[in-house]
Amino acid sequence: MPLPEGLYGLMAEFESPTQLVRAAKAAHGAGYRRMDCYTPYPVEEAAEAIGFHRDEVSLVTLIGGLLGLAAMFGLEAWISVWAFPLNIAGRPYYSWPAFVVPAYEWTILWSGLSAAFGMLALCGLPKLYHPVFNAPNFRNGATTDKFFLCLESTDPKFEAGETRSFLEGQAPISVVEVEY
Amino acid sequence: MANESFSKGLPAVQGAPACIDVWRRRALRAGLVFSILAVILALVAEKLDQPALGWEHLLRGWLTGFVGCFGLCFGGMALLMVQHLSGGKWGLIVRRPLEAMTRTWPVVVLMWFPVALLGASYGKLYIWAKYYDDWASALKKGLITMDQAHAIHWKQPMLNVTDFYVVSLVCFAIFALYVTLLNRWSVKRDADPEPNVAYWRTKFENLSGFGVVLYAALLFILVIYWVMSLDPTWYSTIYGFQYLVGQPFMVLPLAILTLIGLSKTEPIKSTYRVIEQHDMGKLCFALVMLNIYFAFGAFLIIWSGNSPEEIPWYLDRIRGGWGVIATLDVIFHWLIPFSLLLSRDLKRINMRLSVVCSVMIFAGFWDLFWLIEPNFKDAARNLHFSWGILEYIAAPGALFCFWLVYYFAQLKRRPLIATNDPHLAEILEHDYAHA
Repeated sequence: MPLPEGLYGLMAEFESPTQLVRAAKAAHGAGYRRMDCYTPYPVEEAAEAIGFHRDEVSLVTLIGGLLGLAAMFGLEAWISVWAFPLNIAGRPYYSWPAFVVPAYEWTILWSGLSAAFGMLALCGLPKLYHPVFNAPNFRNGATTDKFFLCLESTDPKFEAGETRSFLEGQAPISVVEVEY
Repeated sequence: MANESFSKGLPAVQGAPACIDVWRRRALRAGLVFSILAVILALVAEKLDQPALGWEHLLRGWLTGFVGCFGLCFGGMALLMVQHLSGGKWGLIVRRPLEAMTRTWPVVVLMWFPVALLGASYGKLYIWAKYYDDWASALKKGLITMDQAHAIHWKQPMLNVTDFYVVSLVCFAIFALYVTLLNRWSVKRDADPEPNVAYWRTKFENLSGFGVVLYAALLFILVIYWVMSLDPTWYSTIYGFQYLVGQPFMVLPLAILTLIGLSKTEPIKSTYRVIEQHDMGKLCFALVMLNIYFAFGAFLIIWSGNSPEEIPWYLDRIRGGWGVIATLDVIFHWLIPFSLLLSRDLKRINMRLSVVCSVMIFAGFWDLFWLIEPNFKDAARNLHFSWGILEYIAAPGALFCFWLVYYFAQLKRRPLIATNDPHLAEILEHDYAHA
């Protein structure tokens, strides 16, 4: 596969999350879809502003949790009823109250692991290269105190000159071109 | 800086809007309907039920309603103190509704008197109250079992009518003192010309820190007297904890419902944001988990122990049809709120969260029904329809509605926003989502 070349997108830098969210909303309103916000800490409103709809992590977590529940409850029932039945103080083999706690623990464990790994997988991580790091101001501020909005060139509405003037209208600190 | 330009500013009117009067009238009307229903049911039950326990059922229903309202009032006090200790924006928002709940304490004390007078003095509810001074002849006549006689005799130093009165009234006095201080200081704090944040915060923290511990200890004793001693043969050391969690389980949803109801008009419109609603939804979720943890933990320990001294208490509540009530208790108390509150969106949507909150309050009363009714010989291990059992709808319904009337009246008496708090500026900002 040939490496992509040319312009990846135009990146605007903002002073505050509020300005970023405003600009992102304006961009979404203007019809841009292929874009991303970069913030030093999670700004949920920014995700909302660029029309980032439901993620699938919760579904993955639910499935993982239910699998964990079924696996442990099934294991306990199988051991106690069929594989190795033990008479414990005359209780029935199928003593569900005793199964609840481990089954619950496995629900939590499996949903936790599914959430963590599901999130990484759905984020496309690990990722070894990303073009935005080519922008020097991004490298300096993205993880400390700067907020970025990048409009990507793959967007059908993207047109270098027009997009630049649009971004400059959003009162950014700067707008830079990002190369692949 | 930028944030200030997004502040909505303190609303001009901080008093309660007129809709509270409408709610109060509705609650009053519902309370009257429930009261009439309770009396009619008692009369019908005396006529048609075998055995005729109409008035006794009314008293049992009254006890259920009283314990529920007690939980809303003083559970509100406990949550208010927790909020003073933990801080946070959610605390600032629920502070005034919680304070209004605590100020309903005179009504709750009034509700207690029939329980004390008829239940304990006349022995209509508490079997130990009827026989503790003459358990031997009661045993001979076969009115109580050997186990009950032994327990009543052994626990007599605690379970006697004098102590019932003394302990309850002393606890009420202590709680009333706390309620008075918490409310008085809150008004003074807002009236303070200087913010003096550190001074007030420390003052409230010192009161509340000891207060929550004291409240927990006294609550343990009170629920032993009022509810657990209905079956004098049984005891459980986690019982008080279940109430300690069960109370905020109803208080917080009621506070959320109040705020959602008020959020359509000023002043709450300006301060009630999705962010804090989401936080309170998460806290509800935590309470749901903690509640089932205690309830199931208690069950699992007793089930594992399988001791003849403990297990009958559960058998009374599971066998003979009670299993249906117990299963529904788990469904209302845990399954429904747990599965619904998992959703992030649900916690952020007013209407849906109100449904869950209503389910949680309903579940609180349902749980009390399950805890209280099987204590009595006619109902233990034998769930059956009688006109009398419907008192568990009518009597708690009436008490809850009348309590609400008083609660709304108290809510109206103060500004709905506590102003002297550093979080105020923050909750007056818009949600970022609306920026």
